Amino acid sequence: MLRKLAARSPWLYRINTGSCNGCDVELLTTACIPRYDVERLGCRYCGSPRHADIVLITGPLTVRLKDKVLRVWEEIPEPKVTVAVGICPVSGGVFRGGYSIAGPVDKYLPIDINVPGCPPRPQAIIEGVIKARDAWLARMGG
Amino acid sequence: MNDIFPALFHMLVFPGGLFALVAGLFLKGLDRRVEARMQRRVGPPLWQPFLDIVKLALKQTVIPATAQRTAFLAAPVLGFAGMAVCAALIPVAGAYAGLPGLGDLLVLFYLLPLPAVALMVGGSASSSPFGALGFSREMCMMLAYEVPLLAVLLAVAMKVGAATGVGVEFSLSAVVGYQLAHGSLALDPVMWPALAAYLLFLPGTMGVPPFDVPEAETEVLEGPLLEYSGPALGFFHLASALKTMVVLGLGVAMFFPAPLPGGALVNVAWFLAKCAGLMLLTLTVVKAATGRFRVEQAFLFYLKYPAPLALLSLGLAWRGL
Repeated sequence: MLRKLAARSPWLYRINTGSCNGCDVELLTTACIPRYDVERLGCRYCGSPRHADIVLITGPLTVRLKDKVLRVWEEIPEPKVTVAVGICPVSGGVFRGGYSIAGPVDKYLPIDINVPGCPPRPQAIIEGVIKARDAWLARMGG
Repeated sequence: MNDIFPALFHMLVFPGGLFALVAGLFLKGLDRRVEARMQRRVGPPLWQPFLDIVKLALKQTVIPATAQRTAFLAAPVLGFAGMAVCAALIPVAGAYAGLPGLGDLLVLFYLLPLPAVALMVGGSASSSPFGALGFSREMCMMLAYEVPLLAVLLAVAMKVGAATGVGVEFSLSAVVGYQLAHGSLALDPVMWPALAAYLLFLPGTMGVPPFDVPEAETEVLEGPLLEYSGPALGFFHLASALKTMVVLGLGVAMFFPAPLPGGALVNVAWFLAKCAGLMLLTLTVVKAATGRFRVEQAFLFYLKYPAPLALLSLGLAWRGL
């Protein structure tokens, strides 16, 4: 019961692992512009990984960022759900095979939800957030 | 002994403790909802702050290895406790007269900065460089907005004291009592500058834009709150909800407490409505419409505008006008 209530307050945290910023713009757009409002789901972007419940990862994971991304991900308190936004975290996207790419992200982190697209549509991102919320509820044992 | 139980009731149930907590959280929800509507969004449900608190209560608390454990965990409780006591000191005209002998403007002046102090203690105990940055910014803001606050409180005390012939009247119940008999202070032109100063003080003390310098999430990653998670963070949110109630209630009590004819329940609702109106005017609209000051801009703003306004009222009240 309490867990069901808690699941209506998922706070989002964005990690950019070397993305081209396209997905990040889409993420901000889903939150900020009136048409696609994620705050009505109780979501809120937070500035600190310690406050986060759902992690949105964008980008192909570059070599230089790998350790830092893993460290930030470790900082997020349990239970947490990881969402890969865009095709870069899955496959490397247009950066695939580049000398600077250490990804894909799921070699290092357990990805729960994939939102494919380059960049994904806002509706798809919101659907991903909702699925992540359900996964999060299951992880809390509710 | 006989005084203790009513006092405890006032601190734990009404108007402090439970009542202030629920009202404060709903005010926060209203704030978020109206802000969303101003930006043409749907916004979260009104009870969203309750859901957030439940969520935080169920999360894991991470304590940084280098943090000072005791201070890190005690700070949020300190801020919360200070505000819970504060909320019991605010009279609700027509329903609650305030704690006799305790409801004092000076006590409030000392208790009001407690959440800010808690933030500073927590931020510096967290051993995070962003916490330290937030600490210095919070300190700076506090020095700036406490000046007009003190001048406003003194002006009110001086005004009521001069009118009732006791010199300076610091008792909040007496301040409200005077206004019930002689009309609200907000109707007195002498007090208009002080009222304006208090309205400008509200966004600063609540740390909302454009004065959210200490917790700026895009600059210092939420500053002192950076390392907090789970229930400890929840306590900061509860303290903030209580503080919303306290500073708004104090404003209502000092400037326009006039009750409605009718029972206590009507007047509690009327008091909450006034608090909500004050919040929408000074916090929500300002927050949704502005960016963020730099720290020195915010500091100078408080010394340039609210402080002289409050001092003007203080001077006029001192001359017996």
